[in-house]
Amino acid sequence: MYGLGALAVARGPGEFTTYAGSSGLAATLAVFTGFALVVAGLVTSLTRPAGRIGDLALVAGFVWFAPFWVGWTGGPPLVRSLGMVFAGFLFPVLIHVVLAYPSGRLQSKLARLLVSSVYLEAVLSSLGRALFRDPYFDPKCWDNCTDNAFLVRSLPGVAHTIQVMDVWFVMAAAGALAAFCVWRLVAATGPARRVLWPMSVAGLVLGATTGAHSIALSRAAEDPLDPVFLSIFMIQCAAVVLLASGLLWTALRARVQRRSVGRIVAGLGEAPSPGSLQSALARAVGDPELRLAYWLPDSRRYVDPHGTPVREPVAAPGRAVTALVRDGRQVAVVTHAASVADLEREIGADVRLALDNERLQAEVLTQLIDLRASRARIVQTGDAERRRLERDLHDGAQQRLLALSYDLRLAAAAAQAEGEAETASLLADATGEAQAALGELRELAHGIYPAILTEAGVGSAIASLVDEAPLPVEVAETVEERYPAPVETAVYIVVAEAIEDAAARAATFVGLSLLRDGDRLVITVADDGSERTASMSHLADRVGALGGWLVVEPTTVRAEVPCA
Amino acid sequence: MRVVVADDVMLTREGIVRLLQDAGIEVVGEAEDAEALVREVNRTQPDVALVDIRMPPTHTDEGLVAAQAIRAKHPDVGVLVLSQYVEPSYALRLIQDHPERVGYLLKERVFDIATVVDALRRIVDGETVIDPTIVSRLVGRRRREDPLSQLTDREREVLGLVAEGMSNRAIATRLFVTERTVEAHITQIFMKLQLPESPDQHRRVLAVLAFLRA
Repeated sequence: MYGLGALAVARGPGEFTTYAGSSGLAATLAVFTGFALVVAGLVTSLTRPAGRIGDLALVAGFVWFAPFWVGWTGGPPLVRSLGMVFAGFLFPVLIHVVLAYPSGRLQSKLARLLVSSVYLEAVLSSLGRALFRDPYFDPKCWDNCTDNAFLVRSLPGVAHTIQVMDVWFVMAAAGALAAFCVWRLVAATGPARRVLWPMSVAGLVLGATTGAHSIALSRAAEDPLDPVFLSIFMIQCAAVVLLASGLLWTALRARVQRRSVGRIVAGLGEAPSPGSLQSALARAVGDPELRLAYWLPDSRRYVDPHGTPVREPVAAPGRAVTALVRDGRQVAVVTHAASVADLEREIGADVRLALDNERLQAEVLTQLIDLRASRARIVQTGDAERRRLERDLHDGAQQRLLALSYDLRLAAAAAQAEGEAETASLLADATGEAQAALGELRELAHGIYPAILTEAGVGSAIASLVDEAPLPVEVAETVEERYPAPVETAVYIVVAEAIEDAAARAATFVGLSLLRDGDRLVITVADDGSERTASMSHLADRVGALGGWLVVEPTTVRAEVPCA
Repeated sequence: MRVVVADDVMLTREGIVRLLQDAGIEVVGEAEDAEALVREVNRTQPDVALVDIRMPPTHTDEGLVAAQAIRAKHPDVGVLVLSQYVEPSYALRLIQDHPERVGYLLKERVFDIATVVDALRRIVDGETVIDPTIVSRLVGRRRREDPLSQLTDREREVLGLVAEGMSNRAIATRLFVTERTVEAHITQIFMKLQLPESPDQHRRVLAVLAFLRA
């Protein structure tokens, strides 16, 4: 009604005092623009009641029609005077819409400063004009040269100064708006830019045309029939329509997004694999960089869907962090593009349930990872201890035995020289004992930890095992390269124990192969002995601690150990 | 004979030095790690360097690495490695590139001075010395179809002495036979094991050890 009334004014008494009155085309465009703002505002407010941006657009739609009422020649003076006051707020409200897009909040200090100063200036200049401008005495008046219901005192000089200052201020603000829009578009990346560009283009055009309008005003009196003013007006209409459609598009996109976020759970199936929820969410909101992190209250840390610990998610330029809560507990934290608004609201109960499930799954996976690491540590600590023992035997006991046998030899030689044959023979026997002890010590140290394993690698160490084996061992394949110490030790022990076990089961032959298959070492030890009854579970523990596995069959042991 | 002794344990090193001196061998330098050893060898140009396999900083195979470096840089300087390990891999690694003038003996033989002096003499004469314990481990290795079973006991004995690096004459003296008999045995052995007979004595050691390890 309001809009149609405005149209009636424009087509009738406002023929020469409104832009809409200048032609049928201008009227259609002007009214369409106003309605576009109103519709975009309504739709936005209804789909996203949280943001104020829809209400702002709605206000802009009403203010848009204010100049129509101003131009109501012969209309009620109060209506025309009110129109004068409101018309001054069109530009501030539009700036506010552009800068508050898409979240409805002014994100930067600069934007807040710009919007509040524009509002303040609009209040001051509208007030000044309402109180002191007598249209009769305004030489540049065009749309309303008769009525001002609020006039307190006619001060044409003050009114003129206010007009001029207003023109200059609006020109500066329009420039700032245009620059801000360009900067924001350039600074944004990826999905954020995709969301920003319609509003930024609209803001840029709006800034440019408002600036052009101010320049035109500073040169000539305003006249809707003047081709310059008329074309500026038309382009301005187009910019506002673009702005309104940007708002509409965003609102509809959010609806689509919400629906696809809602559909995620249906698409996941019954037993989703870890991480599938993250990729489904990423697809739904169109942000491939989206990441999910789960908070584990027991161990007080964040993990990803696979259970790997991650750092606490923090917002970064262009990236926002949204915490998702279910039954008062935080279940997940989403890191997403800042342009994806209201994620917290759009994720429904079923997705939260799925998230909670995946959080539990991630917790179990984390425990598995921890467990494996602690198993590996235990095995490594044991190995390091054995290695240390072996060294101590070599560097301590062995050196002392060497010294002892040296002294015994000297003593034997001395006894011999003094003709004490019996003592010399006893000492010679003692030397033999010391030598035997040295030999046994060497075997013992080798059994505790074969030094060759650390020094020459698992290939040489296995070759040495084969040399000493109590039964024939044929090596079909072996490796030359070095591998991480825990891997080499595990492989060595599997082979050593398998050979020992084969001998214990009266085998006459062992076939052995050790080869690298991608990122794993594959060990196969087969023999021709009687069937095995032992489970060799300690070998399975050792291999399992490295994330590998062991298969024990009656006469074959097969193990795979990750080695990359 | 001029010898450099390298061992990081002072007690052992001094014992060795004294025994060598008592046996009439001139010790021209002592070293407590591989770096000092290489320096002493450069300085004194000895006939042989007597090297412990375990030396600082890691106490693993520094001695072996130093021995290989000395053999590569000073062809006239022999090296006798003393080792705690009955590891054929180490012995093979030592003689792989320069099989002449090197030896690998177990550490406990060090105070059996006659064995050490004999080994040093053989090394100076250009021979190879491999500890009998290592050779007997290789000869005694279990094999499925043992080619060594075709050998007579005496031939097996000769094969072991060849693997220890002995020359035909030394084998003849040890077994109280003529050199000609030894030669006949060796021809038989190489034929039975299908080894190409090598004219070079050092390569012969290598070939026999590799065969035993295969």
